[in-house]
Amino acid sequence: MEPSVNKLQTSLGRIMLQSPITVASGTFALDNLKIVEQNFLGAFVCKTITRHPKKGNPPPRLFETEAGLLNSIGLQNPGLDKFIAEDLPVLKEKLDVPLIVSFSGSSYAEFAEMLETLEKQEGIAGYELNVSCPNVENEGIAFGVNPDIVHQLCKQLAPLTERELIVKLSPNVSDIGMIAKAAEEGGATAISMINTVWGMAINYQNGKSMLQKGIGGYSGIGIKPIALALLYQAAKVIHIPIIAMGGIYKWQDALEFFWAGASAISLGTANFIDPLAVQNVYAGINAFLQERNITLSDIVGKYELE
Amino acid sequence: MSKPIPLYIKREIYSSTELTGNYFVLRILDEELALKCKPGQFFELRAAKMETDCSLPKLFKPISIYDVTKVIISFLIKKRGSGTNSLSKSTTTDLLEMIGPLGNGFPIVSGRNVLLVSGGIGYPPLSYLYKELIAQNQIYWIHGGGGSNDVFPCNEVWTIDGSYGNKGMVTENLENILTEKKIDLIYSCGPIPMLKECFRKASKLNIEQYCSLEAYMACGIGSCYGCAVPIGKNDQWNYLRVCQEGPVFNAEEVLWNLL
Repeated sequence: MEPSVNKLQTSLGRIMLQSPITVASGTFALDNLKIVEQNFLGAFVCKTITRHPKKGNPPPRLFETEAGLLNSIGLQNPGLDKFIAEDLPVLKEKLDVPLIVSFSGSSYAEFAEMLETLEKQEGIAGYELNVSCPNVENEGIAFGVNPDIVHQLCKQLAPLTERELIVKLSPNVSDIGMIAKAAEEGGATAISMINTVWGMAINYQNGKSMLQKGIGGYSGIGIKPIALALLYQAAKVIHIPIIAMGGIYKWQDALEFFWAGASAISLGTANFIDPLAVQNVYAGINAFLQERNITLSDIVGKYELE
Repeated sequence: MSKPIPLYIKREIYSSTELTGNYFVLRILDEELALKCKPGQFFELRAAKMETDCSLPKLFKPISIYDVTKVIISFLIKKRGSGTNSLSKSTTTDLLEMIGPLGNGFPIVSGRNVLLVSGGIGYPPLSYLYKELIAQNQIYWIHGGGGSNDVFPCNEVWTIDGSYGNKGMVTENLENILTEKKIDLIYSCGPIPMLKECFRKASKLNIEQYCSLEAYMACGIGSCYGCAVPIGKNDQWNYLRVCQEGPVFNAEEVLWNLL
């Protein structure tokens, strides 16, 4: 694919993506590449890693609603050491596209320690900081809901890496623009948004919740308008690139997010609904741009208010 | 055990047959795919017309393989929600979206006294297994259902309402069967309470047991971790994925008290 004729090429701060389509953490593994052709992917984002192994939440962990999916996986992962020893070598071997490692810590020090450990590894293009974990230094509130904490975290981590530093924002906040700006000013090189929205479902017959933990994360088609509005609010106040996600299923959805200011998009729940979502969305965007003879950058952030 | 290669394909439905009690059988003609299947494995299925039928697309449904002949793969399905209802309305030449075969199957043995215990829609995978085991093993099969609409061919039927066969739960007379038939291996598939009870009674006699677990599933290929169940021994356990490490587990390693 010649970059000069690739109308879908996009820039994500320090890395160039040959496709604006990435995948949401925890929704797409290497086995998906036995279904989807890798060259339609701009970058691969792995499932979130924590310092120590996490078992995750008790089942049931999933429930499909009328317009999306509730999940309560609980960040199940093998921990940083096992990830580096076992998973990373396979990812490096199999991937031809940039690898973005998603990780989460429970304190500033743990985030920094994880970053420094990952920095010693080759084959990583960037990091996605999952700031949904409780910050033990601040009475257990999640990092991502407080702009001062997000700012402080980015300020501590940014000097430690030359790689792409993406902060993944939660939609469960009162002013997402303020948090996005705090990340940018702290030194983040990109933002990804949104993580899942709080959601719940109850069996109307017996009153029992459909997830063992009750409240979970809501994703899929139903959250698209929420994600688009939050992206619009963040894009107005920051200048670093945004990877948008939240209910993107079709190529038409993706275009809405590009107009609203996303430099790249991520497919999450869409991968479960349409196993070929990555290449179908790619094909749709490509046809749209070819037909108008424009490039992706011609529409990014060019939305107009009626 | 080598992992299955996930495969996403669309195939025409070869036949669709209505049975009693909301059950139906879908058949697919595909020799290459049929060769890959093993008893205990499953497919993620969805009616391709689902997208046009419904305003919003839905997840695939994990469906056990019911039978495989040289060229035909069959699925015995119960109508339970929008996904399976949509599958039931599919007719010949309609397209079926399929991912699979997925998961690890049952261990195949020989020279054993085997008991099959199925409950409700736990019947299909054991039916496929029965066919693979019958030539080399002594098999006794007990099946339980809610009523006469939930029964299938086997050696001994139990219904909760007593409308067919013996009245009661399928595990009611389990101890006697295990002793009388000199059972040394059990395969089970059905609702969790049934599997638990089966394990509770048979483990007292130290009988080897394998069970196929059902779980709510999204991807079917191991990426989402939505279908995980607690597997292991004592403190050494973890949530393993029904789609990837299962659906068949050694019953002794399932942490039943956490399910």
